[in-house]
Amino acid sequence: MNGIWLVALPLLGAFLLPIIYRHLPKKVGKWTGPFILLINLGIALELWRSIPVDSAQSIAMGGFPAPLGIIFYVDRLALLFVMLVVLGTLILWLGSELGRIREETLLLLLVGGSCGLALSGDLFNIYVFYEIVAVASYGLAASGKTGAGYAASLRFLILSALGSALLLLGIALIYAVTGTLNLAHLATLAPYMLNDIVGLSAFALMLIGLGVKAELFPVNTWVPEVYITAPARISALLGGIVSKLTLLIVLRFLVLIYADTDAPLLLLSLGVLGVLTGELAALRATDLRQVLAFSSIGQLGLVAIAFSIPGPDGVIAGVVLALHHALVKPALFMLTEAWGGHFKRLVGAAHVSLWGTLLFIVLVLSLVGIPPLPGFWAKLLLLKGAFATENVWYHTAIAVVLIATVIETAYFMRIVRLMFQQQSEPPIKPRLHELIPASTFAALLALSIVYVGTITKNMNEIAVKVADKKIYISNTFPVWHRDFKKNALTENVKIPNSPSSKEETQE
Amino acid sequence: MESIMTIEETGWIYILSYCGAIGLILIGTVAMVIYHHLIRIILGLILLEAGVNLFLITVGYRANAVAPILMGDQVPVAMVDPIPQALVLTAIVIGVGVQALALALVIKTYKAYGTLDTKELAEKIAQESGTHLIDGIPVSLPAPALVRQIAEEKTP
Amino acid sequence: MNLREISGLIFIIGLGFLLGAVFKCLPYGEPITGVGQTITALAPIEVGTTNIVASVLLAYRGLDTLGELTVLFVAATAIGMVLGQRDPEISSQPEAGFILKTAANILFPFLIILGAYIILHGHLTPGGGFQGGAILAAAFFIPILATPASPFNHHISSLIEGFAGVAFIIIGLLALFGKGYFLAPLFGTGEVGHLFSAGSLPLLYLAVGLKVGAELAGLLARLQETEASD
Repeated sequence: MNGIWLVALPLLGAFLLPIIYRHLPKKVGKWTGPFILLINLGIALELWRSIPVDSAQSIAMGGFPAPLGIIFYVDRLALLFVMLVVLGTLILWLGSELGRIREETLLLLLVGGSCGLALSGDLFNIYVFYEIVAVASYGLAASGKTGAGYAASLRFLILSALGSALLLLGIALIYAVTGTLNLAHLATLAPYMLNDIVGLSAFALMLIGLGVKAELFPVNTWVPEVYITAPARISALLGGIVSKLTLLIVLRFLVLIYADTDAPLLLLSLGVLGVLTGELAALRATDLRQVLAFSSIGQLGLVAIAFSIPGPDGVIAGVVLALHHALVKPALFMLTEAWGGHFKRLVGAAHVSLWGTLLFIVLVLSLVGIPPLPGFWAKLLLLKGAFATENVWYHTAIAVVLIATVIETAYFMRIVRLMFQQQSEPPIKPRLHELIPASTFAALLALSIVYVGTITKNMNEIAVKVADKKIYISNTFPVWHRDFKKNALTENVKIPNSPSSKEETQE
Repeated sequence: MESIMTIEETGWIYILSYCGAIGLILIGTVAMVIYHHLIRIILGLILLEAGVNLFLITVGYRANAVAPILMGDQVPVAMVDPIPQALVLTAIVIGVGVQALALALVIKTYKAYGTLDTKELAEKIAQESGTHLIDGIPVSLPAPALVRQIAEEKTP
Repeated sequence: MNLREISGLIFIIGLGFLLGAVFKCLPYGEPITGVGQTITALAPIEVGTTNIVASVLLAYRGLDTLGELTVLFVAATAIGMVLGQRDPEISSQPEAGFILKTAANILFPFLIILGAYIILHGHLTPGGGFQGGAILAAAFFIPILATPASPFNHHISSLIEGFAGVAFIIIGLLALFGKGYFLAPLFGTGEVGHLFSAGSLPLLYLAVGLKVGAELAGLLARLQETEASD
């Protein structure tokens, strides 16, 4: 199975969906999207099964070998994020009413773009897929069709477009220095060419650009506005799931290109600032969705801190934190469809819907990190990783994370206490189709408790392989000489320490 | 490698082009930060993107080289790097899509609130949603006001 | 001067210094990896185009082009969602003057021919799907400017844009089945420099041109309709 299907199928579906809706019975149109997502999930699972942990499927687009053409690098980490996006979108899709043509088209495009973003191994290609995801997000953010929604989406667009321009500038700088865009090729060149001021400023520019979607510290002002005005399931999708993908890209940059530089410290400081500002703002906010939005800034700050820890420890902590947050936050956002607004409206919620309240409490406890729940393991991994670095900056980060956890507990417990109070005018009862997605995410969370041992073992294996850039390089470059025009290539393109040249001599 | 040239050889085109790119990027960013009018902010964005594109094109420039198109039986002389040109083409089209969407959102925002000034817009949105602004962050009103508001919504 | 402006100015000054310092360090001339040079040397042999930018766009970096078409499609879909359908009861703008109306009629066939020429010769001469598509879009948009009352058929434009996008992916998938690589050039290179050469690239450019043309025309028409309904 070729990994390109993960991108081609949703795009194909998105191009055809308006036509299907117009010319075929409405029922066919309604189920096209979920059907495509199911197939995508199947393909991802099949790829997961067929690709061993230490290897990866490296697909040369158009048959043009590595630095000339675009490469898709399909390894287990990328597939994990692909499955997360596809599964999350599917659950949220089925939890809402079907039949809104344009929104469903945008959702399919968002999934296609996200899969491409996770798999791509080429800098400019990453930019293109990032733009697909970004533009689809602007559209979805405005899909509430309120004036405030349009204004929020516009502000999101302007900030994000500024970020995209800076991202492109960073990519252009890298191309100006090295003359290549392929990540594996850059990984071989970086120690000689990119670990200086130019390379680091390129990283800073790209980090700001990618940080807009990843809700990193200085460029996250769009977050509260958009998550309040967009429909709950869109906030769930953008805040809970899609925002992690760009951090995956940052992780790849750090591991492959900037491993031995000060670049991780930049990400660390942005992450620490994000955790602090996010949690403090959440403490002051009085609107449930705003609280969730600010808490999501804080949680993504945690993921950023984790990814900035060098070596496999950081990778596993970041991935587990990201997965955990991707299960918990969408579920919480789905509950706000009935319980949004000022959280005084939640007074007495426990007497209206016990199941909803229980879900809320379990999810919140996991987010804070209370022991039997998976959130605890995620935070523990982060603390362990940060502690093992023996670097004073990371130790400061540990202190910040602990303080942030206390703040988090304070504001969430305040809300939970309100839910159990008596109130003459009871809050709205959540409808069934809002509770089903939230329950599904919670069930997945419960499953992860049962299989915590297996998951940790698998993640460990993946993390060790991902943190090793030699594996990435050697998985990309066998394509190099298996293909046509081998001689012309090796004459013209010189790669210092390229694994392909070694293999050639062995042959 | 001998093909790395000095500034003297490659001439003034490089310097001018780089300065133009820096200038456009800075002008665009300044416009996006200091103006409060949405159309002006979008114009700033367009300038910024133009600057980045100019920079990309300049990256591919070679001294005394021709456009990367083979003409008849002509012996190929030095050609400029074709990759940045393809990248810029892609980036321009992406920029067009984003700008068109921005303008559509501007139209809708203007229809909803009758203003394009970001400060006035923030105030009007805050009024509409029953929140008040504290340091630019909208904060919901406490419960009694909200309950009253819901009651008002139900009555007509 | 509030906090936001001050922090913004600091950011800009920092960016200025950064760019100045960085651009001074950039190497001038050919980067030592020479990926671009390799492509310049190989493109006429491997892909068979005389316009090397075309072979970069459609062969070496064909996925970028698919992504770019997708971004346009996403933007068009989002704009359609934001602006909604045209309300037929609202009166539209007054008609344009005599000059524009006459010129629109005369220009229409020429613009179509020019657009088609630029699309079909994209692999040989400067130009290609995007440029030709923009000209096609202009051909359909100028009549709307001339007579705003005449409706733009969004059904047909969305049909074209959908099927052109599908065609691009299908050609890519055919290559996946035939040659084992998504978007690999099909049908051989042909004789370099002739109209029927470069394999499947002209077909891809045709799909790109139609899609860009339909999408831009649809975008412009939608923005114009919304403006007219005020």
